[in-house]
Amino acid sequence: MRNQEGSSVKEEFLRKWIRGLRRYSCEKKNMSFLERKKAIKLSADLAMASTRDKTIRWSQALIANAASENVCIGSSSAPKKSSRKKKMMLMRRSRARVKSVKKEMSSARCIAKRLMEKRTRKLKNLLPGGESMEDGCLVEETLDYIQSLRDQIEVMRSLLTASQLIINPS
Amino acid sequence: MLHCVNMTVLERQQARSRKCHQQDQDQDQDYQRSSLFDVFSSSITMDGYDDSSLHMPIMPPPAPAPAPSSSSALSRTTTSITPRVATSLASPTLGKKRKPLTQKVVAGGGGAEQQSENKKDKKVKVSGEEDSSKITEQTNKEEVASAENSKGSSEAQNHKPDYIHVRARRGQATDSHSLAERVRREKISERMKYLQDLVPGCNKITGKAGMLDEIINYVQSLQRQVEFLSMKLAAVNPRLDLNIDDLFAKEVFPACAPNFQSIGMASSSDMSNNPAAAAAAYLDFNSVQQLVSCSNGLINNIGMSMNPSPDMGLRKTIATPHSVSLPETFLDSSSCFTQALPPSIWEGEFQIQNLYNVAFDQPRASSFPPSHPFTGLVEASNLKMEMEM
Repeated sequence: MRNQEGSSVKEEFLRKWIRGLRRYSCEKKNMSFLERKKAIKLSADLAMASTRDKTIRWSQALIANAASENVCIGSSSAPKKSSRKKKMMLMRRSRARVKSVKKEMSSARCIAKRLMEKRTRKLKNLLPGGESMEDGCLVEETLDYIQSLRDQIEVMRSLLTASQLIINPS
Repeated sequence: MLHCVNMTVLERQQARSRKCHQQDQDQDQDYQRSSLFDVFSSSITMDGYDDSSLHMPIMPPPAPAPAPSSSSALSRTTTSITPRVATSLASPTLGKKRKPLTQKVVAGGGGAEQQSENKKDKKVKVSGEEDSSKITEQTNKEEVASAENSKGSSEAQNHKPDYIHVRARRGQATDSHSLAERVRREKISERMKYLQDLVPGCNKITGKAGMLDEIINYVQSLQRQVEFLSMKLAAVNPRLDLNIDDLFAKEVFPACAPNFQSIGMASSSDMSNNPAAAAAAYLDFNSVQQLVSCSNGLINNIGMSMNPSPDMGLRKTIATPHSVSLPETFLDSSSCFTQALPPSIWEGEFQIQNLYNVAFDQPRASSFPPSHPFTGLVEASNLKMEMEM
């Protein structure tokens, strides 16, 4: 689907990613390993998300999450924890609700339904911003997300090999 | 088929009109016809019908009413009847029921469905007819009920992009809700087909649950890969400085923009005579030549081709396994790998080839000391990639 724009998407991603990384390196010298890793991953994710349209939900959700959580690479992740806690609470509540309903139904169809629900829930958790999507939308977004992830991985890999070659032989 | 139905109704109605009416009433009919034309020419275009054919059946609606004296009464009946005629003829779901319906129509009044269509057309200004208020009420209800789709009518109007028109197939429920459900399901299954192509290993699995499982696993593995790669990058760059990248970012892309995903001959002559270009060459995303045959079955191969820079004074050739594609194995091998590259090997062009590429078949590879430890790696990685793919 996105084959023709693939290369330009990757370029764009790479450029944005590098820009973001440079900003990090300017802000903070001597970051620890973990900090660096977080910075790299975050800037990569954000760069990838920003290459997608505004109409694509997962990218907007990703950016919004990053912005709202105020992810600071070096500082403690207190805001993160609170949001995580909230999510856990919500999930627990929803699970409890679903369980009570489950006890009533026991036919084969209901079992199948239950399985599907389980899986769609899992998928929704994986996808950024996926909790609020319905089925049809979810599948579309997953498609797009998978493609973006693959592009991201390709670019990251090539950057990795390149930087390794630059550093080591020279 | 519909045309036949049309004509029979039409003939019937025309015959009736000729019997019962004289010139005055003919004039009345003409008047009605024209007004009806106004109303309906702008509104209902039937699926596969021309406007002209539509209007034929509408024409003689006053006929059935045996002695409609006042024009207003006529108009009332016509407006109420004709929409039904039109839509009953139009709706394919009715199929064989068309005839009886049309006959019923003759007697009956305006129905809700038609008015909903009229409303949906948005062009029907039920001009000055008494039923307008009634119609709007009913259409509002109808619209609320079948807000998503105008499946009940299935008029394919080209100039109405708001609604998705669906025909209910024969023997299937024609309920608007079930039609909507069906459309939704078909959409989802279509998307799942795309996903099947995208996610490796999904071809054999039929059924949504298994597919979903695969998809979930794949997404998880991709996310894990991203994490891992970012970790590796953090390890490689002690200071997150990517200045070289900055240099090439400007120069590489215009040169090799179209070549990102091409698997083919490595272009190379573009970058040269430039330290920045040399560094830039590191991230030239062209894949390498000899790998075409090997890498046929493999998708995400990024080979790299490098060009020597005369400034650097080195002309390097490395037939090296592109071991990055397997993070785990690479983690182990990278250290020994990088150490094992003695500069004395450099010759000719500097190339990095893919793991799958039977790089070791190349003559140069024989002079490559650490080739032996890597063959094992290659096999392991091949296995892994097969599993992955």
